[in-house]
Parts: sequence; structure tokens; C-alpha cells
Amino acid sequence: MSEALKVTGGKSRIKEKALVLIPDGNLSACLTCGTCASGCPATGMMDMDPRKFLRMAVLGMDDQLENNPWIWVCTMCKRCYDVCPMKINIPQLIYDLRAEWPREDRPKGILGSCDHHVKSRGGAMGVPLEDFKFTVEDLAEECREQEGFEDLKVDIDREGAFFALNQNSREPVTEPDELLPLWKILHTVGADWTYYSEMWGGENYCMFLADDPNWEMIIRAQCEHIDKLGCKVFLNTECGHSFYAVWQGIRRFNIPHKFEFRSIVEYYAKWIREGKLPVNSDWNKTGIKFTAQDPCNVVRKSLGDKFADDLRFVVKQVVGEENFIDMVPNKSNNYCCGGGGGALQAGFTEERQVYGKVKFDQIQATGATYVVTPCHNCHAQVEDIGHHFGGEYHTIHLWTIICLSLGILGENERTYLGPDLAEFGL
Amino acid sequence: MSDKKTIGAVLIAGGGIGGIQAALDLANSGYYVYMVEKSPSIGGVMAQLDKTFPTNDCSMCIMSPKLVEVGRHMNIELLTLSEIKGVEGEKGHFQVEVFQKARYVDMEKCIACGACTEKCPVKVDDVYNEKLIKRKAIYALYPQAVPLKYCIDAEKCLKLTKGKCGTCEKKCPAGAINYDDKDKTLTLNVGSIILAPGFTAYNPAGKAIYSYDNNPDVVTSLEFERLLSASGPNQGHIVRMSDHEEPKKIAWLQCIGSRDINTCDNAHCSSVCCMYAIKQAIIAKEHDPSLECTIFYMDMRTHGKGFESCFNEAKEKHGIKFIRCRIHSIHKNPGDQPGQVLDYMDDTTGKVIRDIYDIVVLSVGMEISPEVKELTAKLGIELTAGGFVKTSSFDPVATTRDGIYVCGALQGPKDIPQSVVEAGSAALCAGSALTAGRNTLTKTFTAPPEINITGERPRVGVFVCHCGINISSVVDVKAVRDFAADLPYVEYVSDNLYSCSQDTQDFMSKQIKDLNLNRIIVAACTPRTHDPLFQETLLNAGLNKYLFEMVNIRNHDSWVHKDFPAEATLKAKEMVRMAVAKVALFEPLTEARLDIDQNALVIGGGVSGLSSAKALASQGYKVSLVERNSYLGGQAVNLFATSKGESIQDGLNAIITDVEANDKIRILTNTELTSVDGFVGNFDTVLSVNGQSEKIRHGVTIIATGASELKPDEYLYGKDPRVITGLELDRKFIDKDPAIAKINTAVFIQCVGSREPERPYCSRICCTHTMASALHLKTLNPDMNIFVLYRDIRTYGEREALYKEAREKGVIFIRYEVSNKPVVQATNNGLEITVTDHVLKRPLLITADMLTLASAVVPYKDEKLAQFFKVPMNADGFFAEAHVKLAPSDFAVDGVFLCGLAHYPKPMDESIAQAQAASSSATRLLSQKSINTSGTIAKVNPAFCTGCEVCITVCPYNAPSMIMDGRDKGKAQINPVLCKGCGACVASCRSGALHLKGFEDSQLFAMIENA
Repeated sequence: MSEALKVTGGKSRIKEKALVLIPDGNLSACLTCGTCASGCPATGMMDMDPRKFLRMAVLGMDDQLENNPWIWVCTMCKRCYDVCPMKINIPQLIYDLRAEWPREDRPKGILGSCDHHVKSRGGAMGVPLEDFKFTVEDLAEECREQEGFEDLKVDIDREGAFFALNQNSREPVTEPDELLPLWKILHTVGADWTYYSEMWGGENYCMFLADDPNWEMIIRAQCEHIDKLGCKVFLNTECGHSFYAVWQGIRRFNIPHKFEFRSIVEYYAKWIREGKLPVNSDWNKTGIKFTAQDPCNVVRKSLGDKFADDLRFVVKQVVGEENFIDMVPNKSNNYCCGGGGGALQAGFTEERQVYGKVKFDQIQATGATYVVTPCHNCHAQVEDIGHHFGGEYHTIHLWTIICLSLGILGENERTYLGPDLAEFGL
Repeated sequence: MSDKKTIGAVLIAGGGIGGIQAALDLANSGYYVYMVEKSPSIGGVMAQLDKTFPTNDCSMCIMSPKLVEVGRHMNIELLTLSEIKGVEGEKGHFQVEVFQKARYVDMEKCIACGACTEKCPVKVDDVYNEKLIKRKAIYALYPQAVPLKYCIDAEKCLKLTKGKCGTCEKKCPAGAINYDDKDKTLTLNVGSIILAPGFTAYNPAGKAIYSYDNNPDVVTSLEFERLLSASGPNQGHIVRMSDHEEPKKIAWLQCIGSRDINTCDNAHCSSVCCMYAIKQAIIAKEHDPSLECTIFYMDMRTHGKGFESCFNEAKEKHGIKFIRCRIHSIHKNPGDQPGQVLDYMDDTTGKVIRDIYDIVVLSVGMEISPEVKELTAKLGIELTAGGFVKTSSFDPVATTRDGIYVCGALQGPKDIPQSVVEAGSAALCAGSALTAGRNTLTKTFTAPPEINITGERPRVGVFVCHCGINISSVVDVKAVRDFAADLPYVEYVSDNLYSCSQDTQDFMSKQIKDLNLNRIIVAACTPRTHDPLFQETLLNAGLNKYLFEMVNIRNHDSWVHKDFPAEATLKAKEMVRMAVAKVALFEPLTEARLDIDQNALVIGGGVSGLSSAKALASQGYKVSLVERNSYLGGQAVNLFATSKGESIQDGLNAIITDVEANDKIRILTNTELTSVDGFVGNFDTVLSVNGQSEKIRHGVTIIATGASELKPDEYLYGKDPRVITGLELDRKFIDKDPAIAKINTAVFIQCVGSREPERPYCSRICCTHTMASALHLKTLNPDMNIFVLYRDIRTYGEREALYKEAREKGVIFIRYEVSNKPVVQATNNGLEITVTDHVLKRPLLITADMLTLASAVVPYKDEKLAQFFKVPMNADGFFAEAHVKLAPSDFAVDGVFLCGLAHYPKPMDESIAQAQAASSSATRLLSQKSINTSGTIAKVNPAFCTGCEVCITVCPYNAPSMIMDGRDKGKAQINPVLCKGCGACVASCRSGALHLKGFEDSQLFAMIENA
């Protein structure tokens, strides 16, 4: 038995601060019931779990929490907060403690990405606007060579466009071919859209870094710029955290805006219902099975089951009702993949993969060949744990199968498809 | 308004066990009762339960006699399918508007044969069976329903919705169907109103975390009650509903819809779920001993009488697993595998463990329905923050509107015994308000003069019942009738579709008179429920009611031999032949009549005794209040505040002032009992008043002798002045000790002396008391550091709000294991207390200025008093009530009642409620002025009696005694007032001197000879 720890029961920095700063932040209300820990994939990692974390805060063990690396393993997925009978906002506590870390001590990967973004006023990869423009124009040209897309237009900062598209810089920078399916979809439905130049990268590592000023600066700049363009809808692509960064940023920093902020998955569903996106599942004659991951940031943390239902609607329309196998649990109660909260860049790779084992087992239990991940972090993490734990599934974005179903998926746009579909419909 | 005459009638809203108990108390005390029940029959939730803890009695079996009594009571008017719409007026004269939905079945004509239901084509969710199965659109709520009258579901019936069908009208042999029946609104004039609408179980539907929707293997605890019940969907055979396979593992999840302000809005503890989960697990294991039962919980709240030992038995004897973890969520086993996945936090490894269960039972909590909340708003009744009716601890059943009272779950979540206590309390208060109107609206039964049959030849009438098709579908009823016609002494035989229907009663009465029948046999169902009905028919016909015998050819024959009709018919014939042989030997029995002395004795001058005295005096009875000490007030003298924050000293002084000013109450301090003689209605008690002997006579006795706080022998108590008990801290609060606010760190240790081998019960009040004390310390000094070291926090009901507030204000709670108790060391800097934290699993060191021990409540174990009144005590030394569930304030011994801490540890409000309930029971008896004893009692033949006294030893009711002088000196005699006719003495008498009237040897031998 270890030496007795002296406790005073008095006020402590963390408790006091949480009480003031966090709505639902009275940590002392904790019943130590275990609800949070029993539903958290990060339980047991670094000998920590959400209940223990809270307990240490209640007992005033601030020193041991303020530099505890577990806060970078927790993905702030909010699965605990949703069910905590005392409604204690643990994820926000984690966020605030991340913010307490000396900025330079925070994980290099996240820190660097935030700094790149701020410095380049572009994206987390630090790519200047000119490069982005060049890539886009080059690719658009390429796309127009494909049959049916001769009139495809891609522009930046076109005033009065209905949609302003929030583009994560991963595609333009590292896998440009992945941009094409998205554009083709937008072209097919006749969407009036534009990219925007100011802070053009949708990702927001400053949020993961718990760097409030820079998170706010980025979102505010985007919002002001889009309002200046006069766009009606700020449309987020298939990315969870970039969605949440805007959705929550607008709320947290009370940022004025005239546009409506929406996820493209909602629009996929709308366009399919309206007949503008004439997908069908006839192509899937062999009954290839699909499942879908619910990005915490768009489902549990913001839009709820309404988004999850739209996601399922789209997938089922595209692959066939009978070929969709849901994960258990799912929708708002689904598990975080383990790639959220900046975990992919936080440097705790082993922990992140152990965390992801829960997701891996869920996927394996569905028996699906494909996991649809309408989120970049989910995509990367699900791919990674698939390799790490020896899974045989493939991880894809929605745009890939939508275009596949429409028969417009180009030869170079199939990086993530398995051999069964690599040449399908070409 | 004061010139208006007080109306001697009470309206009771709700026909559950609380409403039923209140109705019977009032109707038997001179008040007319309207019982307004929303559903088509009374019974409430208790009627849905399988077995009840701790006796494992079938819930329906213990409740049914009460249902029948309410249904047959001439001073209770049942208004089913009815709801209160509004209340005008004030205490003493309310006008209540009641809306009654059409039943579409004429209650007078319906004989409950079930022919309508059988052919009805519409299937509807069976609400009584928690929608696990279907019933028809025309239905009776459940087989034993009172009133047992069918009812049409107007929303589902084809005839009423679409004008089609009409099958039930065609099938009804009694012409009872009336499609033109209309809803109506009635205005009832009453003096008091009691609200007893009960609770609604939390509905987990729509919450993804419970996986309850579309998952038949996740059930609520009420659904599980139906699954356990022999009258439930699977006849009590527990199966996984999805595939009807037998389960191997069942899990219970506690606090679903309770102690949760996030997924629902119920901050309260529902009080009953821990105990019912344990009960269900034990019963499930009794069904299948190989079953694995696990209960996932936060705090195990077994704070009721006998609960803790049941919890211990569940662990040790039944092998039920208890895991302390609230489960995040439930999900189905993925793929085609059956089972529910539960992940739980394992305390020892700090890892999440995954387990699969065949059935998950959600231990759902109690809520007040929106409709009831709407009603309370309409009536102008205030609610608590948690949405229950607001009451004061000193007037525990009075709502904020004068003349309207509350009992049961509407006042706060509670179990059956506590609801029954409150029902008595509400009845007492509702009646006390109306004493001027007592006996003004009630009817009394006057039987015609009894026909003298002495010397007449037996003329037996045999009535054979079809019981709809219950009997006649198996037994050839007409053949039994014809067989009976040829038996000796039989003058008349008939067969009836329903012998219990009103028209059959009239017919039976006419036949008795016309044919001079002098012995009656009804071959039908069970005498347990129907004996009184037929006996009343005999009385109406002028026949002694003991010239009657029932033959149970349903439960004992048609039901159990349904596949063997020929043999069943033969058995029915034999049973009737036996009964005819027996009844021919019957003689009229007489019932002794006994006057009841109208004075009461209350023993104990604490809050319970004071409240009892006050309650009885308010009903107009004179009371002697006896207290052994020189002062009144008992334990309350040292108590600071109630859980609701009321000053106990103020409340106590108010009661004492009331009692002292009441000329009906004689206060006798420094007084003890020296002897007790007599029995119900006529006790002769000798008191020692300040050493002087005084004899008093009283008709009833209330035992309210209280309990005391244990003086601990651990944690340096008595050795260090900084270690005190909970009561000692209260004394400091009362005295406004200035040192208290200066304390830096205060620690409380719970369960000191409770829940230990020596005292295995939970003292119920200490957790709440500690919360209140900790919060008071925080009021005195918000910066004070406070720790509570506990085993389970048991702030049941709305008391949970105190626990929450204490945590929110920074009180730190640390759970210790009884095997690893906190260690206290005295140092000059303070008390050093070491305790292992339940989450971190490492020792913590707290330096405290004050340590308060939440010490056990200890009964006095007053053997002498128990001897005086022949009342039993349980193993813990608390007095044992007549029935744990349904008679918590009565003793099995007539005329003696029980309340307060002498019964079990309880807080102020519950003590006062029980004091009033005991007084209500006493009033029920006193207001009869005299009682009729049963005719079926034991009698001694002194010629054979050897005076061995075995009968005295075996009698549980104190009925036999030895004759002290005269010719039969030294022989036994039976007090007809106390004898319950159980026959224990008869069986034990070695010299054959005892016999039981109605069960004479000759009668029983005649039966055997004819078998």
C-alpha cells in the first residue's frame, strides 16, 4: 500500500476554475458512479480513466493532473458527458487543462499544425493560397477532360455563390485526386459554389491545441470573409472536426454571421431525395457489405441523430438497404474511433491504437468490407487501426461510393477502394 | 361558511393500495367514502406485482381480501373510469367535479362470464401486463379485478369507432352491453379529499443508451414482475422474450430514471428499486438456481426494515452478484447472437470488463405523471422542486390546501409499507377534520331476525356454479347438480352461471325463504374471497350464517384437472357429497358481542407518542399518555433540524403545547407499566406514576416507546472530546456552540454500529442526518472542509437532494469497506484519520478538528412490555408488526398498535405519519363501540381438560387462559374475543378437551366417511 496522501478537502485551482469557466462544471457533484469510465475507450490507459481523473480533481490533486498526458489521449468525444447522471462536462475540463499547458509543451504535431495554419493563413499544412489555387485550377482542367464534366467550374472567392465550400487541405495537398469526386457531385446537382481564400483550409488544429485565440481568429476570419462574399450556406465537406470547429466556434466565441452552416452529408441526402443526385444500388449486385462510422463531432457533439440518419440514408441509397450493416452501438451512442481530439497528431500512437481497438472490434463485428467515414480523422484512424490490427476492410469517403454508383468515378479516384471495386465500372 | 354542516364523506382519488387502506380506515370509522379511480378496476401497481418481499407472499393474494372488502363495503362507493376535474369549496364542504367515462357495459347486469372477450375481434396492448401481450377491446383489467365488470376500450372498439361488429352484444348472455352509454360529469359533496393517485414508472423508451426500443430482451422492472408472475404472459416461466429461450444470465441496472439530472429530470432516488431488484433476483434464482444474477448499482439502498438482512442473504445465500458501477449504455450483441452487451468499470483492475446477458432488467424509478401534476396545479397544491406534493415534516400528509391530504408516491417515492402508513395517516387527518359529520352519511347493516331452526330436520340447498366457463367447460355442472339432488337431506338443487352475481343472490335468498332451506352449499370457487358474500345472503334470508359451506370445484378441480373432464366431474360430485354430509351436522353458531372501552393508552412520550395522543384526542377519544422520563419529547429533545430544514425544537414545542392544552389527554410522566390484564376493548393496566400505583382501563394501546442512539466503542469515542455522535453534534447546533463555526475540518463516519454482525440492520436516518448536519456546518462556515466516510449513501426519496447539495458545496465523500475501516489517531494538531479512497485505491490522510460518528439507532428491547401485551419483537429487538407490508402499524394482537422508532428507525415525518396511522387503526376499532367475534372459535370441554397449559403455549393470539376459581378452577378457557379459530390449540390438546366450532370431529368424520 502506498503512503497516505494528505488531503485537505479545501478549494483547489482546478475545481475553482471549472466552477467558474465550465457550464456543468461543478466537479464536486461527481457520484463516482463509473458511468463515464465504463463507456470510455480511454479507460485504463496511462492508469487513468475519466472517473479517476475527476476524483483526483475533487481531492485537490491538481499537480498530478495539470501535466498529465492522458488529456491528449482523451479525444473529448463527449460520450461520458452525454450520460453522466450529474451532467459533469468532463470533455470541457480536459480542454481547459490542455489550455493550461505551456503552449510550447503541448504535442508538437498539433502545435505545428496550428502554427502553420496561422502563419500561412491557409491551412494546417502551411500551404500558401497560391499553391492551393494552382492545384485547384490544374485539377479542374483535368476533370473537364472527363466525359460529362466539360463545363465543370471550380473557383475561389466568387461573390454571390450560394455555397462556400469548407475544404480540408488534406486533399489538395496530399491526395488531389480525391477532390474530383466531390466536385463531380456538386457539378451533377448543379450546385452554385465557390472556395474562399481567407483561411481556406477547413481543418482547425488550434481547437485541438486548446488555443482559443487562434481557433477564434481562424473561424472569425472565415466567417467575415464568407459574409463578404455573400454566400448563403457555408458548406462543410466530409470532415468532423472542421465542422465542429466552425459550429462550436461560432457559439463559443459568439461570432456574427449571415450564412447558414451545414454539412455536405445533409445536402447529399437532400439532393438524393430531390432526385438531383440519382444514385442507386443496382451496381452492388454481389452484395458488398458496408458500415458507417458516426463522427463524434458531427453526430454526438453537434447535429445529433438527425445527421446520423441522413448518413445512413445516403449510404443505403448508394449500396442498398440490405448491404448496410450498422455498428453496435451507433449514432449518438457510437464510440469515438480514437483519432479525434487531435489524437492522430498528439504523438501517443500506442495509446491511440489501443483506444481504436474498440472501434476495430465494432467494425469487425459488422463483417463489412467497407467502412464509410465522412470525416478525415475517422478515415485516417480507421485505416490505421485496420492495418495495425490486421483488418481486411477498406475505408472510404461518401463521395467515392456516390460517384461509383453514378458511374462517374474516375480511374485515379479509387485509392481507397479494394480490389473488388478498383476497376468496377471503368 | 362556518354555519354549513360538515359533510361526513371523504373523496379518495386513486384505488391503489394507499387509497384502499385509507378508504377502509375511513369507511370503518363512520365516514362515507367515494373512491375515484381512473382505470376500470382498483388495485393499482401492487396488483401487477408478483411476489412481495420479505414473506414472498403473492402480491395479489395478500391484496385480494382488501379489494373484495372495498368492493363490497356499503360505505364505499367506487367510481371507476373517473377523474377529478375540479374542486370548489373548502375543508368540511368541498364540491368535487368528477368526470366518468362511459364503460359501455352495464355494471348491474354484467356477470363477468367473459363471453364478450372471447369473441371480440380486436386486439389491444394489455396494459396490466405492461403491453407484453395483447388483450381484447372488451376486457376486464385482470382476473381478480374489483369491480369484476367488463369494460369496452372506446378508442379501439370497432362498434364504437366505425359502427361495425357488435359481436359482444350478441354474445353477452346478460344483456349488459350498452353502446349508447355516455360519459358523465358528477358533483360530489365531501368534507375532505385524499390524493392517492400513485406514480408512473419511468419510461426508458426513446433513449438509445438503454437499447429498450425494439429490443424485447431489455425489459423494465415492472415488465419483469409480469414475467415472474404466474398470471403473467408466460405463466411465470422466465424466458428471453426474443426467442423464448431460458436465460442463463440476467442483469439488473439500478437508478434508471432516478438520481439522474442528465438523461432525465429525476434528481430523486426512487427509494424502492434496490429492494425490488434484490427480490426479483432472488425469485428468479428460485425459478432456476443455475441462473446467474448480477445487480449493477451506485449505492445499495436497503434502508427498510428487514432489507439489509435480505441484501446480505442475496449475496451470501443466493449467490447474487453485486457490482458497483453505473453502466454507460446497453447494446445488443452484434450480429445474430442473442444477448445484451454490458461494459462495466472493474474497480480492482481499473479496466472495462465486457459481459453478455440474456436479459437486462431496467430498475426504473418513480415519477409523477403530467396529468397528476396538472391536477395538483388545478387544485392549487404546491409541489416540491422534485415535483412531489409538498408537506411539512410535522404534518406529513397535509397538502398546502386545507382539507386535502396526500398519501403514497405522490408525496414522494416510497414503498408499500410506507404508503400504507401514510394512508392511515391521511385517513386519520381526513376524519379528524370531519368529526362533526361522523356517522351522518354512513349506512349500517341490519339483518332480519334469525329463524330458529333448532330441532328441525336438515333441509339442504345445493347451488352449483358454472363460473362462466371456468367450471362448466371441464365439469359437467348439471350432472353434479342432479347427483346432489339424490343426496340425503337435500331439498333443493340448482345450477347458476355465476353464483356470485347479484341476481343469483336474490334468487338464493328467495329459495331459502320459500322452501325453508336451513343448510346451504355453494359449489363454486374459493371461500377465501366469496365466503362473506354468501354468508351475507344467508343473513338476509334470516338464516344463521354458519349454516353454510363452500365447495371449491374451480381452484381445486376444474382448473387443475382441465384435461380430465370425466374425472373432474366425479371429483366435484364427491366433494359435494362430503360437504352435504358435513353441513347436515352444522348448528347455528353465535358470535359474542363485546363492548369496547373508549379510552386509549399511549406508551411513550416522544414525538410518536405525542402525535398518537394528539391524533386520538382529535377523533374525540380520551388518552392516557405514559412517559418513563420526567419530560416529554424523547429523542427529539436533542434533534436540531428535519431533512426539510425545519427546526425540530420549534416543532416539538408546538406538539407538546398542543398535547398539554388538550383536556382529553392526561400526561403521566415518570410513569411505567407494572401489569397488564385483559384484551382488546378491555385492557386493565396498572401504572406506577411517580412510584404510586394506579389502575386504568382502556380499549386500545399504542406502543411508541422509541429507541436511542448507540454510544459507540470505536474511533476514540469517549476517549477524545473531539469525537462525538450525531446527536451530540445536534445538541451543539441547538445550543449555538460558537466553537463549531471555527472548525477547519470536520469528518463524519457513517454506519457506526449499524450494518455490522452485531447489529445487521441499517439505521435508515443517519445518511440524511449527516447530510443535513454537513450542510448546516457549511452554512455556519462555507470554507469548512468536510469529509463523509460512508459505505453506501442512503438518502432515499427526495432526501437525495441533500446529498447532491452537499457534494455541490464541496463536501467530499469517501467510501470505505467494512473490512478496511477508517483509522483514527489523536494528535495535538488534530485527529488524524486514514481511509482508503474507493476510486484511487490508496490511503488518504485527513487531519480533522471534529469527528462525528453517525451512530446506530438501538431499540430498547423492552421484554417486559412485549410480555404484557403478548407482542413479538424481531431479532434486532424492534417490535414486529402484524404484516410487514399491509399492517405496518398494527400488531397481530388485537387492540395493540405500533409506531415510531420502536417499530424501526425512521425520521420525524415518518414517525408522525405512523403515529397517525396507528391512531387511525385504533380509531377504526374504537368507533365500532362493540365488536362481534367470530362464531368459528375453539371451545374447551372442562370435563376432559387436564390443565396442562399446552394450549396457552401454542396460541399465537393469547386466547386460552386458566380458570382461576370456581368449579372449573385449573381448567383452560378460551377467550372468544381473541380466538381466531386457527385450531392450533385443538390440534395440540392431548386430552381431546378442545374442539373447534364448525370443524367438529363428527363433521370431519362425516366428510371422511363420504369421501
